[in-house]
Amino acid sequence: MPHWGTPRHPVPLTAKLNARRIKRMVNSAVSVEGLRVVRGGREVVRDVSCRIAAGTVTGLLGPSGCGKTTLMRAIVGVQIVAGGTVTVFGRPAGSPALRRTIGYATQNPAIYPDLTVREALRYFASVLRFPPSDVDRVIAEVDLADHAGALIGRLSGGQRSRANLAVALLGTPELLILDEPTVGLDPVLRDELWALFGRLAARGATLLVSSHVMDEAARCDRLLLMREGRLLTDDTPGGLRERTGADDLERAFLHLITEEAAR
Amino acid sequence: MPTDIRAEIIKQIRRPAHWLLLAVALVLTLTFAYLIPYLGLSGRTEGPGSARGLDAMLPAEFVGSTVAGTPVFLGALAVIFGVLVAGSEYGWQTWKTVFTQAPSRPRVFAAKVVVTAAGTLLLVVTLLAAGAAASAAVAGLQDAPLDWPSPGELLTGAAAGWLITTMWAMLGVFLSVALRGVALPIGLGLVWLLAVQNLLSAVAAPLLDWIADLQRALPGPNAGSLVAALGAPEGAPGVSALTGAGHATLVLAAYLVGFTLLSGWLLHRRDIT
Repeated sequence: MPHWGTPRHPVPLTAKLNARRIKRMVNSAVSVEGLRVVRGGREVVRDVSCRIAAGTVTGLLGPSGCGKTTLMRAIVGVQIVAGGTVTVFGRPAGSPALRRTIGYATQNPAIYPDLTVREALRYFASVLRFPPSDVDRVIAEVDLADHAGALIGRLSGGQRSRANLAVALLGTPELLILDEPTVGLDPVLRDELWALFGRLAARGATLLVSSHVMDEAARCDRLLLMREGRLLTDDTPGGLRERTGADDLERAFLHLITEEAAR
Repeated sequence: MPTDIRAEIIKQIRRPAHWLLLAVALVLTLTFAYLIPYLGLSGRTEGPGSARGLDAMLPAEFVGSTVAGTPVFLGALAVIFGVLVAGSEYGWQTWKTVFTQAPSRPRVFAAKVVVTAAGTLLLVVTLLAAGAAASAAVAGLQDAPLDWPSPGELLTGAAAGWLITTMWAMLGVFLSVALRGVALPIGLGLVWLLAVQNLLSAVAAPLLDWIADLQRALPGPNAGSLVAALGAPEGAPGVSALTGAGHATLVLAAYLVGFTLLSGWLLHRRDIT
């Protein structure tokens, strides 16, 4: 007589481990396993594995050309990968079901210069099927209310970056991928934006923010440090300082590079 | 789909470059179809331009006179319009933003095609209205009767002008999608329209029979044949009755469909950067 209820025998250890792994993956907004990306015949992302916990701000740091943007594109699902897997909210990156849950702000402002801020955002809200009421909300969030009627082409570089960020905030996405959103901004605006990132995470959004400015790293919950396509570390700012014995994160990063070179 | 079309229309309406193109088309058409021929009318019965006599400027002939520019200079402006509608998305990298979150590329592209066709329809209707007004003014100045073409002739002329300009605009869309940009597609489109077409018809076709035969399959000569059938003055750039109106319409429609399908396929299949 077969038994259809609770198993009589204890669950084997491997099954327990698998269950724990699955639980971790579900709690992770993003899971990257052994990612490899080849561009122009060169391996630009080399066997990268990491997890990004839901509801956190994760900083993706490293020098220019280290593979930050490529990793972000792979998570968004617009990058052809040579190997490994990228999972977002339990689904393969790029799945149609994920598109409305991800906000992506590219490094260069990708927005219409001959439209006003409000007109451009209305267009994106319409075509992406987000409510029109979102437009004024995101304009206020990026502090562009005074420039809502200004042509984007006539805005300063920092204002244009914020208009670009506003597009990514439409629809209240669960995962925000922001590629160097604070480049060209003055310290006051950078501070305001990082405060905004904190508020978004507090509301439950997951943010992956790339930067090559080390003093922004301290404001992240977790740090991913990349160099030459490899992930050097995945740690908290405090944990990184403690592990390397460095006072600040820039020194910690340099310590890791030296350690990596010595291997 | 209606939401995408509405959003695309609003976006394109706000772009000053499109209105500048419309203004240029209007000024060129009125200048070369009415103003210069009228100023040259006084006492001339022979020589260049005599084919464009008073009759070509009167209301009865305004449809042919107005659409006479579509094989060459209005076609060039239509190519630029098509490139700006689609190619600017590459230049500003805005395709990335849209396609990252939008549910389907074909839906976004279909809205572009509809808006491109709406833009060329607006161009043709505006030019015909301006041509009608100019021809009425000429008739008034010359005390000539106001004999207007029949509604059927007017609709046929408008449809032919729309077909030709939309075909050129979709060539612009195709070039911008194929070359993923703005500058090179505009340059190549204009070289084809303003230089290669003329070289083929004026230099190559008289020397080589197979090129003369090939002319019957090319978009420019068929556009010229179609407007010639509608009464466009012979001698206007690109206007020549090389083929019949039916043949020209079919060839132009085939190019229109071909450019549209190829552009849609390329946009769907390829990376956007």
